[in-house]
Amino acid sequence: MSADLDRTLGALADPTRRRVVDLLRKKPRRAGELAEALDTSPPAMSRHLRVLRKSGLVTEEHDGEDARVRMYRLQPEPFRALRRWIEEVEAFWTAELDAFKQYAERTRGGRRRT
Amino acid sequence: MNEAGDGAKVSVFVAVAPADAFEVFTQETDLWWRKGPKFRIGGKRPGVLAFEGGVGGRLFETYEIASGSKTFEVGRVTDWDPPTRLAFEWRGVNFRAGETTFVEVEFVAKAHGTMVTVRHRGWAALRPDHPARHGNVGADFDRMIGMWWGDLLTSLREHVATRDGS
Repeated sequence: MSADLDRTLGALADPTRRRVVDLLRKKPRRAGELAEALDTSPPAMSRHLRVLRKSGLVTEEHDGEDARVRMYRLQPEPFRALRRWIEEVEAFWTAELDAFKQYAERTRGGRRRT
Repeated sequence: MNEAGDGAKVSVFVAVAPADAFEVFTQETDLWWRKGPKFRIGGKRPGVLAFEGGVGGRLFETYEIASGSKTFEVGRVTDWDPPTRLAFEWRGVNFRAGETTFVEVEFVAKAHGTMVTVRHRGWAALRPDHPARHGNVGADFDRMIGMWWGDLLTSLREHVATRDGS
């Protein structure tokens, strides 16, 4: 498993951070908004957002209207890495189950239960 | 792509009874498991891949090297319920200590055989001091991981679909 994927999964190991990801799926949001929506203190939310940022799952940007306000936005690349991992795992098991089926039917096919 | 929300998932219909399917899967593993570097740690070297029956048993691979033989433990069996269900941990050769993934195999009786389904849930970086571990140990913990993995996949599919489509 790659270090990047490892970081992605590590960042998502926490339930609050998964809920942040869920909220950001709909639209970018401010840290204060996220803290309020998830009933978390601003310092705690700030720590969660730092972990998500380091993992590359979210980026921070300044709001166009107010430079003091930071908006958090979900990034698709770590999710694509996860999807690729799943596709590789599925290709592996598809090959193994195909071999399993051939062997099982060849050796046991004659005495199957009805 | 597997159906939504449950990790990697692959099914196959096999024209033998569940008891036979379970037996072949767990006791004759080496005879059907594909050979070569994509499927075995030992690659093309002679070796054996096998389950030890029962909860706590190992799934391991032994292969020959110049100085003798080497054994790699893929993981331990966590559920052993013949002829319907089998679950075990799965660690790749490059995983760090404490990292593992989980494989679950179901054998469901059908009219003329058995539907065998493998679910492989991913996980990494979960060390004992990890915050996610607080208040969750053993089987409960594993179940929790399975659930969040499912949620996560649903989430990522929707997200990627949205971004790719925009």
